[in-house]
Amino acid sequence: MDKYKDVSPFVIIKSDVTRRSFTYTDRALGALDKSKHQYQQRVLIGSNGGENAAVPVSLLLRDGTSIISTPSKTAKNPYVVDQIDGKLYLTDQGEIVEEVHYWYKPDYYDKFTSSGTPMWQVASARPQRLDIDPNSHCHFWNKGNGCKFCNINANSTQSEKECNMSKQLTAQDVYETVKEALKQPGAFTNLKMSSGSILSGAEIFDDEVDMYIEMLQAAGDNFKEKKFPSTIVASAFSEKQLARLYENTGLMTYTSDIEIPNEALFAWICKGKHKEVGYAEWKRRIIRAVDIFGAGNVSSGIVGGCEMAQPHGFTSEDDALKAVLEEAEDFASQGVSIVHCVWVPMHGSAFHNQQNPSLEYYVRLAKGLSDLRKKYLLNVDMDNYRKCGNHPDTDLDRGNYL
Amino acid sequence: MSILNERIQALLQNSGAAKVLATADKQGIPHIVSDPTISVNNEGKIIYLELIETSQSNVNLVNSIWFKRKVAIHLSKGEESYQIKGYPAYSVISGPVFEHYYKLSLERNPEFDLSTVWIIEPDEITDDTYAARKKKEREGHPLITHLDRLAK
Ligand code: SF4
Repeated sequence: MDKYKDVSPFVIIKSDVTRRSFTYTDRALGALDKSKHQYQQRVLIGSNGGENAAVPVSLLLRDGTSIISTPSKTAKNPYVVDQIDGKLYLTDQGEIVEEVHYWYKPDYYDKFTSSGTPMWQVASARPQRLDIDPNSHCHFWNKGNGCKFCNINANSTQSEKECNMSKQLTAQDVYETVKEALKQPGAFTNLKMSSGSILSGAEIFDDEVDMYIEMLQAAGDNFKEKKFPSTIVASAFSEKQLARLYENTGLMTYTSDIEIPNEALFAWICKGKHKEVGYAEWKRRIIRAVDIFGAGNVSSGIVGGCEMAQPHGFTSEDDALKAVLEEAEDFASQGVSIVHCVWVPMHGSAFHNQQNPSLEYYVRLAKGLSDLRKKYLLNVDMDNYRKCGNHPDTDLDRGNYL
Repeated sequence: MSILNERIQALLQNSGAAKVLATADKQGIPHIVSDPTISVNNEGKIIYLELIETSQSNVNLVNSIWFKRKVAIHLSKGEESYQIKGYPAYSVISGPVFEHYYKLSLERNPEFDLSTVWIIEPDEITDDTYAARKKKEREGHPLITHLDRLAK
């Protein structure tokens, strides 16, 4: 931290906790109040938790920064969350690092839709965002070409088996859950939808676009005005598909993840995306989305650090960072924010045995991406610390509003 | 335990008192806002409700919590006047505390869309009345005064 005095220490802590993972002491788990805190959550990538596991879904720091991470049994050097004098702290080798809080449970979580689906299985809640993932199955996996860092299908198959959690949502369940969620004043500032890729249709992704239109319309029926603060994290749609989506729904912003901003590594790590669409076309489509949604209203996520996966990734952190920031600048100069998450080699992903880069790499990456937005006057309100909370770089933007 | 005595806590709860928050940006340029809704919670910490996410005060407060920089609150009513300096300790953007103040803001004005509940830990208090400041100077610097004040 001494070396990066101008970078928020909360962002540095968040990056390192995500990178190294953490565990809970029994005392800390005892502080979880199932009536107040979230211990179950539907997520696309990561883990939905076991059937009876009462583990907090995530952590919040004093400044409102989210740490989106779950404990890993195989982490070699994890932080430890402990309860000391009635407060929860992150500790490292027995030393207190920072105070943390468990995420609160929204009022709708324990309710059921008219079809009997638990509402927490329809929409999950980040501290200020409603997350609806209508399809937890990615077609790229069907052909054995899922992205190598991703565990979507392994996670959704396990949740279906163990918790009877459906992979697909219905529009009626979405409508009813959003209706209930909006009854809680001040709880949400954004609605996000995401899904595994759906390759079918007359044109590739046509069925995915239809699914989003149906689900966004169902959610949108709860709002007074047609447009409402919302985003999707979806496949790279053609101009025709994007226009259809924009005109027929309340959608205001759009994300499609380039994942690895380097053509050769994308071809290796995101084989399915590369085979069906290709890096250059995936990128072109994201940039063209700016024509519809406007500069700053389109972002693209990268799995920060995955460019160092072996055997084909960069072996030098300097080289990796240079390549990533150069490509990110090309996006930013055309109105697209590149936002990163911290790569966690997860169970159920092809990269589960890999090692992620150093903390310093993540600090430089976050600062580099945030600085690019400053340079190109892009605000990332669509994906900021409170909307998403998964991007150390957008957390930094809040100390820098224009 | 809070360093704010009962009198100051009562003044902080008084909507008729003048309350001003001073922050500084990264270059040290000061920024002040007057806000009679600044109050105190039952732990003796100061509550400032930020209504505008991207305001200069909010950005300055974010930088203050990140880099442990103090902010100042001026509090006065009638003859009483205090300066309180402290550290932003929590930026609350969700959960029951946030929702409590969100509803309170709506009651004050249905147009208000609360961004952040700032919880400021007071660290030092100065009695800011002229009489108190002059007394301190007389005691510490007896050579600084106009002679006509001392004439028979
Ligand atoms: S496109 Fe890749 S990252 Fe996205 S869900 Fe499918 S496999 Fe996972």
